[in-house]
Amino acid sequence: MNELMRIEGLKMYFGGLKAIDGLDLTINEGETLGIIGPNGAGKTTLFNAICGVYKPTEGKITFQGQEVTGLPAHVMAKRGIARTFQISKPLADLTILDNVVAAAGVHEYTGMRSYFKKSHTPEVVARAEAVLAETGLTEMRNKRACDVSLGYLRRLEIARVLVTEPKLIMLDEPCAGLSNFAINEITELVLKLKAQKKSIVLIEHNLPITMKVCDRIMVLSYGKKIAEGTPSEVQNDPQVIEAYLGEEDDD
Amino acid sequence: MSAYFFSIGATAAIFILLALSLNIITGYAGQAMMGHAAFFGIGAYTAAILNGMGVNFWLCLLAALVMAGVCGAVLGVISLRLQADFLAITTIGINFVMVALFNNLKITGGSLGLNVRKPMLFGARMTNTHFFVLTVILIVIVCLLTVKMRRSWFGMALASINNDAAAARSFGIDVNRYQILTFTIGTAIAGLAGGVYAHRMGFIASSDFAFVISIQILSMVVIGGIGTIRGPIVGGILLSFLPELLRFADNYRNLVYGGLLVLMVRFLPGGLLGEGSPILKLWRRIRGKGVGVHE
Ligand SMILES: Nc1ncnc2c1ncn2[C@@H]1O[C@H](COP(=O)(O)OP(=O)(O)OP(=O)(O)O)[C@@H](O)[C@H]1O
Ligand SMILES: [Mg+2]
Repeated sequence: MNELMRIEGLKMYFGGLKAIDGLDLTINEGETLGIIGPNGAGKTTLFNAICGVYKPTEGKITFQGQEVTGLPAHVMAKRGIARTFQISKPLADLTILDNVVAAAGVHEYTGMRSYFKKSHTPEVVARAEAVLAETGLTEMRNKRACDVSLGYLRRLEIARVLVTEPKLIMLDEPCAGLSNFAINEITELVLKLKAQKKSIVLIEHNLPITMKVCDRIMVLSYGKKIAEGTPSEVQNDPQVIEAYLGEEDDD
Repeated sequence: MSAYFFSIGATAAIFILLALSLNIITGYAGQAMMGHAAFFGIGAYTAAILNGMGVNFWLCLLAALVMAGVCGAVLGVISLRLQADFLAITTIGINFVMVALFNNLKITGGSLGLNVRKPMLFGARMTNTHFFVLTVILIVIVCLLTVKMRRSWFGMALASINNDAAAARSFGIDVNRYQILTFTIGTAIAGLAGGVYAHRMGFIASSDFAFVISIQILSMVVIGGIGTIRGPIVGGILLSFLPELLRFADNYRNLVYGGLLVLMVRFLPGGLLGEGSPILKLWRRIRGKGVGVHE
């Protein structure tokens, strides 16, 4: 398997708080990597450090053989790393379709030059509509994002990711707060992406889902990797069982 | 059409131009700009000083545009480091500082202000009618540019940033760059309006660009309907002509602006013609059309 991203000695400190504390991780092309860990383990922080929301305190991130450590978020997006947010960030005033069109412009946002290029060309709208169909949002296309329920917002996050045609898809708890029915739908969607051989990193609290979807799982606790391996390896790891004991969570 | 109309009309048109330019910064980019009159003033004084040096009218306007735009770009860079509420206070501060500078610097004529020779057009001195027509042409150009902006990726970027900057970054939008660009464009147009204003008035003084003027411009945007094109135009017309018709004294005028602003924000945040406006709903019902979101 080809290596897509390599993370070496990554540290992300907030003052004295060591949210990520020396992490090594490799993400391979075409695999679905699960990241699990108790609340506050540093999963979202890891995403933010990779995606350029935070500048890592220390460490090195290589993507497709090029060092990308500390590049800002919009540059990472243009490089092909697309992520969803644990707390949905819809463009509330815009329609679902326009939300996806906005993301479809990932390579068009070039400052003053972008002034001279029309956004809603038939080609772009068609591309956005194809993604809406894929994520089951077609009948919501003209609703404003502030008027749809959480389940749709979670799919919208995924739709915005897909329309950028990313090389690496990062999903931060796409099922959190959803009904069982909606969780199944999202799981099906992720399985569909997996079948297309997309490279995916999935943060998920729901262990059965993670076990079902992921090829490989990394367990994070207090900013450190405590286990890594296939779902069955991780499931039986005493350290993992311990980290999850008394953790009758979840959110 | 009387000379009286063109006298008020020329000023009203300049204020509509100011409202449209402020709307780019506050309406489309969502930035709390409270000192727009400072850039209006920078343009006006730039034009007036060059006029005094015998520079051609059109070059004066161009210089006013560039000067205000450059200053606006600097503010744009500063704004990156500020939260919204602090940006509001900073821009108010900038307004007061600029007025103090206008009022004290030698080059701006100090408290005496500056006289500006009326420019010549086709061999005659430009009249209020000319200034009115010129400004209306500028308004049309700015409106067309704004429509084009809204349909471009640039407009998509501003709409995204205005809704959620973190989301915008996640799909490739350089938020900082667009924020600086919008400040530059909005203030440049304000500077252009200042250049026209200086020539039309024939005389400018620091009080023409005081903080209350910023509030007046903001009132036009908010009362008309922020984030739309028709809003600042209608707000500008209303607030320019209403006080004239009612013959308010100047002091009351500011009270009216301030009062209207507070009432609008409290009861009709979309403005008279913005989103959720009762007038628009009524109009659409009369025409029997569904309620769309965008203009
Ligand atoms: N911007 C920040 N400033 C300071 N501390 C932060 C910041 N972001 C995260 N933290 C802290 O870092 C730690 C890890 O948080 P993070 O959100 O990454 O956890 P998580 O694994 O995603 O948890 P959850 O399962 O609840 O989403 C927490 O203690 C959190 O309070
Ligand atoms: Mg998290």
